Amino acid sequence: MESELLKLQAEAEESLQQITDVTQLEAFRVKYLGRKGGLLTGIMRQLKTVPAEDRPRLGQLANEVKQAVENAFEKQKEQLASQFSATAASKVDLSLPGRFLPFGKLHPVTQVMEEICSIFEGLGFAVAEGPDVETDYYNFEALNIPQHHPARDMHDTFYVTDSILLRTHTSPMQARIMEQQEPPLRYIAPGKVYRCDSDITHTPMFHQVEGFLVDRDVSFADLKGVLTSFTRTMFERELALRFRPSFFPFTEPSAEVDIACVICEGSGCRVCKRSGWLEILGAGLIDPEVLKMVGYDPDRFSGFAFGLGVERIAMLKYGIDDIRLYYENDLRFLSQF
Amino acid sequence: MKFTLSWLNQFIPTEGLSPAQLADKLTMLGLEVDAVTELHVDLEEIITARVTTVTKHPDADKLTVCMVDTGSEEIQVVCGAPNVSPGMLSALARPGIRLPDGTRIKKSKVRGVASAGMLCSAKELGISEDHGGILDLNPDLSTGQSLAKALSLRDTVIEVDLTPNRPDCASVRGIAREVGGFTGGVLRPLVESTTPLTGTDVGFEVHIQAPDLCPRYAARRLTNVTIGPSPQWMQRQLIAVGMRPINNIVDITNFVMLESGQPLHAFDFETLQDAQIVVRRPHPHETSLTTLDGQERTLDPEMLLICDGRRPVALAGVMGGLETEITSSTTTILLESACFNPVSIRRTARNLGIPSEASYRFERGVDPELAASALERAVNLMVQYAGAQADLDGIDAFPGKKPLVQLHLRLERVRTLLGISLAIEEVARYLRGIEFIVTALDGQTLEVTVPSFRVDIEREIDLIEEIARLYGYNEIPATQPVIRMDYPRRDDLRSIRQETARILTSQGFYEAINYSFVPESHLDHCRLAETDPRRRVTRLINPLSEEQAIMRSMLLPGMLENIRRNISFQRSDIRLFETGKIFLQHEANVLPEERLYLCAVISGCRHPEAEPLYYSSLHSDFLDIKGTAVNLLRVLRISGHDTSRIFQTGVAQPYCDPDCAAVIKNGEQIIGSLGAVHRDTLKEFDIKQPVYFFEIDLHQLLTMSKEAKKFSPLPRYPSIRRDMSLVVPDSVAAGDLLEAIHAQQQKYVESADIFDVYRGNPIEPGYKSVSLSITYRSAATTLDDQTVDKIHDKIVNSLMASFSARYREGSEE
Repeated sequence: MESELLKLQAEAEESLQQITDVTQLEAFRVKYLGRKGGLLTGIMRQLKTVPAEDRPRLGQLANEVKQAVENAFEKQKEQLASQFSATAASKVDLSLPGRFLPFGKLHPVTQVMEEICSIFEGLGFAVAEGPDVETDYYNFEALNIPQHHPARDMHDTFYVTDSILLRTHTSPMQARIMEQQEPPLRYIAPGKVYRCDSDITHTPMFHQVEGFLVDRDVSFADLKGVLTSFTRTMFERELALRFRPSFFPFTEPSAEVDIACVICEGSGCRVCKRSGWLEILGAGLIDPEVLKMVGYDPDRFSGFAFGLGVERIAMLKYGIDDIRLYYENDLRFLSQF
Repeated sequence: MKFTLSWLNQFIPTEGLSPAQLADKLTMLGLEVDAVTELHVDLEEIITARVTTVTKHPDADKLTVCMVDTGSEEIQVVCGAPNVSPGMLSALARPGIRLPDGTRIKKSKVRGVASAGMLCSAKELGISEDHGGILDLNPDLSTGQSLAKALSLRDTVIEVDLTPNRPDCASVRGIAREVGGFTGGVLRPLVESTTPLTGTDVGFEVHIQAPDLCPRYAARRLTNVTIGPSPQWMQRQLIAVGMRPINNIVDITNFVMLESGQPLHAFDFETLQDAQIVVRRPHPHETSLTTLDGQERTLDPEMLLICDGRRPVALAGVMGGLETEITSSTTTILLESACFNPVSIRRTARNLGIPSEASYRFERGVDPELAASALERAVNLMVQYAGAQADLDGIDAFPGKKPLVQLHLRLERVRTLLGISLAIEEVARYLRGIEFIVTALDGQTLEVTVPSFRVDIEREIDLIEEIARLYGYNEIPATQPVIRMDYPRRDDLRSIRQETARILTSQGFYEAINYSFVPESHLDHCRLAETDPRRRVTRLINPLSEEQAIMRSMLLPGMLENIRRNISFQRSDIRLFETGKIFLQHEANVLPEERLYLCAVISGCRHPEAEPLYYSSLHSDFLDIKGTAVNLLRVLRISGHDTSRIFQTGVAQPYCDPDCAAVIKNGEQIIGSLGAVHRDTLKEFDIKQPVYFFEIDLHQLLTMSKEAKKFSPLPRYPSIRRDMSLVVPDSVAAGDLLEAIHAQQQKYVESADIFDVYRGNPIEPGYKSVSLSITYRSAATTLDDQTVDKIHDKIVNSLMASFSARYREGSEE
């Protein structure tokens, strides 16, 4: 038994010296140290059969031998590993593409809409969304656009019934929220809107973000201040803003707001039709009629409202030149943003 | 609204302002200039040239060979015009020039004779319709100058996009008034003076029977009219702004409408029965009227009509009737200058679908005070250009005359609402500049009388807008509002939408956005039963097409369209999701229920876009979509382990492959489903590869309980893992083995996983091998082999008993 052990140790140590690769090493491990049928494991099992008085001594020896072989094994393993790693780097072709799992992206409209919302959230505006299918009352009447008002021409409306329609703008949320709450109010209402119009510059569905603020003594100057902060953040630079008088039945004074063309910086190009300006939103002070209809006293409260076209801003930010691409959901398009 | 600069200058000078500067000024006043077009730029290089000799072409009867003096040289030109004669001054286009119709002039040979240019007709030059021969110019003009200059053809057309509140600017003179507001120029009147119409001895009668819809009706009878073309200068202005010249009478009514804003209408007086004009609604038997475009129009009881003594002869303010229209034989006309109720006109024009220049103005509001002067202006022109006699007086019925609007303007409101401090004199000066009458009541309030043409000014806020406009929006400073600080409440639905989008994009899904309206055929494609609630759709009355006729009641069809499109563009490995509303019309005539849904689809390879080198082209299957759903619930911390939420079931969605369908449940309620899209549905969408989908109601997801984030101590003692491979009948669901392990609730079992499922040699047909691993751990001690083996054996034995399983032979190493 004793000699057998020592012989096995010598043998093992010698064969370890011969080992040059990992496969041989594994074969060695199975042969000598394997849990089932390994030579050393086998001898250890035989310890049960030796006389009781020899057992402590032989047991200790067996353990020592096993330990020694294991140590030698580990040593050889490490040596092999260090040899291997010295050459391994040169064996990996570093020019091969890296390995990754694919990551999807949000639709560019969502990206821009979220960006708009987060800028206004930063200014303390709350986000609220209303129904896409809306009543004539909230879409028009409550916004000072009575039946047969020529301003209805500005809204090519899809109807569900005579009094139910697809909202043509996100402005109905002004009336819906003001009806429920008292000033001060700061809200933005993002969402889909619909107009029956379809060509290279119009899709029958698009996205708007409505925003409004109502409190005491809110002025047109305040509207300009808030929109200036917004465009500076949205387009990541100081951009000249231009306010032009316009007309919306639910705001007065009303304005269309242009930014200096982000493509040519105002010098005139195809995108801005050589004007140097890009129209990006409509805005104004909330018309006193709208305030009265929700029961506010226009002499006590005033407010401003604005509406942004999301697709338009995405087009400017990303240089998209055909609005119809937004709703084809072509992966070649979606993966660009 | 289009106008030419030369026309504008008839009312106000604009010297010192370039067209571009003028356009910019107008835009900044709220009259947005859409286009500035230079007229006849292409005539700049056409020159006046004198024909010196005309000889017959040797080889063609209808052609002549002309020598033409260009002022600097004499050239030979072949000409085909019958009117060419020696000494004639005409227009010459030399080689290299492009005519307005696009023809490029080249040096050429016409039947063997060299021609170094072309003598042009008025039509070829785009000046008029005349193509009877080459242009025959006043011989006193000098030779060799630009034709545009010689005929003073150069002009600029400016197009303004008018907002509905400014009907006063739907006229050249209205625009001129605004220009005067900033140049300080004096606006010229439409006519020098207006003689009041007495209404006696006029030879006709006017009866306004609907004074609510017709505040004013003025008319005059003109005799001895000779119908013919209107003067060239008038035709040029009309053509320039896009109107077709017709005859002198019609052209004058249009011309005066464009310059004054007052629509006019001329009737052939002889066709008016009883020499009467009656303004009224239709009688019950009057159901139709043929308008001058030859269309028969159906009348409704609320439409305002112009009638003669017996019958309707015109749709008031919209379009005249055919039977009373001016013809070439007309000699006596009745000229109408009236004012109608805007809403009534709008209704009529809308209902009949005939928007006209007249209705455009009436429905926005025509100045009731304008009728008399516009009538006078038109009569003057007709006397001058149609030989008309206007000896008879006319009628001016004005039952709706109203006093001018008077408003109070508080200086404090100007300051509060605009954020600027203006002196009271400054405010007054702005308003007076656009013809408002202003008196100061005290140091803080103005009394303002609104001129009749500003029908849009009715309230103090309207005046404040005028101040802002004239002060300049861009001069108003930008300030930040002061408002109580408060963090807005979060909208849960918005949060969960953002969160689900984040989770799905991180798993390789791209977000899609589809139209909310879809074709109804989608519902059939999805094999929905007649009783399916998703068949109760919100339907549009006026869709753009049948393809967009109903509001969607499910998201999947849109995504299938997206898959088809992507496949057709060779992108067949697809992971898409959409978060969007569906619409359920539970009952008619109320707003539909709108629910936010999430739908995700997978088709093609499992790892689109990833390196094929590492991720071989494995095809996605049901387990990919199941994993997506499970992972979503897990990341959202919806409590419970996978299988307690997702059930395989016999009740599949009709658009789902019955062998590959599962539902997501919250308690007993089904809140979503997943599976393979049914073959028949795919066929309808022309998709030839399998598609796996997952859809869930986000409102429902919000109601599900979420596991709170709570710390549990990290395990201090090592775990022990035991593996087993069991051969079970094919019919056994591998997931049930895991369920059974958990169900035994044995001590120390931390987790159980399936790590291999194998069919084939050496396993006999009808059976499969499932390899499972169980991890054991104690929170209090290091487990020893004996303890673990004992539990493990119990579990294995129990599994073998309940699933008719046996151990799979094989080495342990």
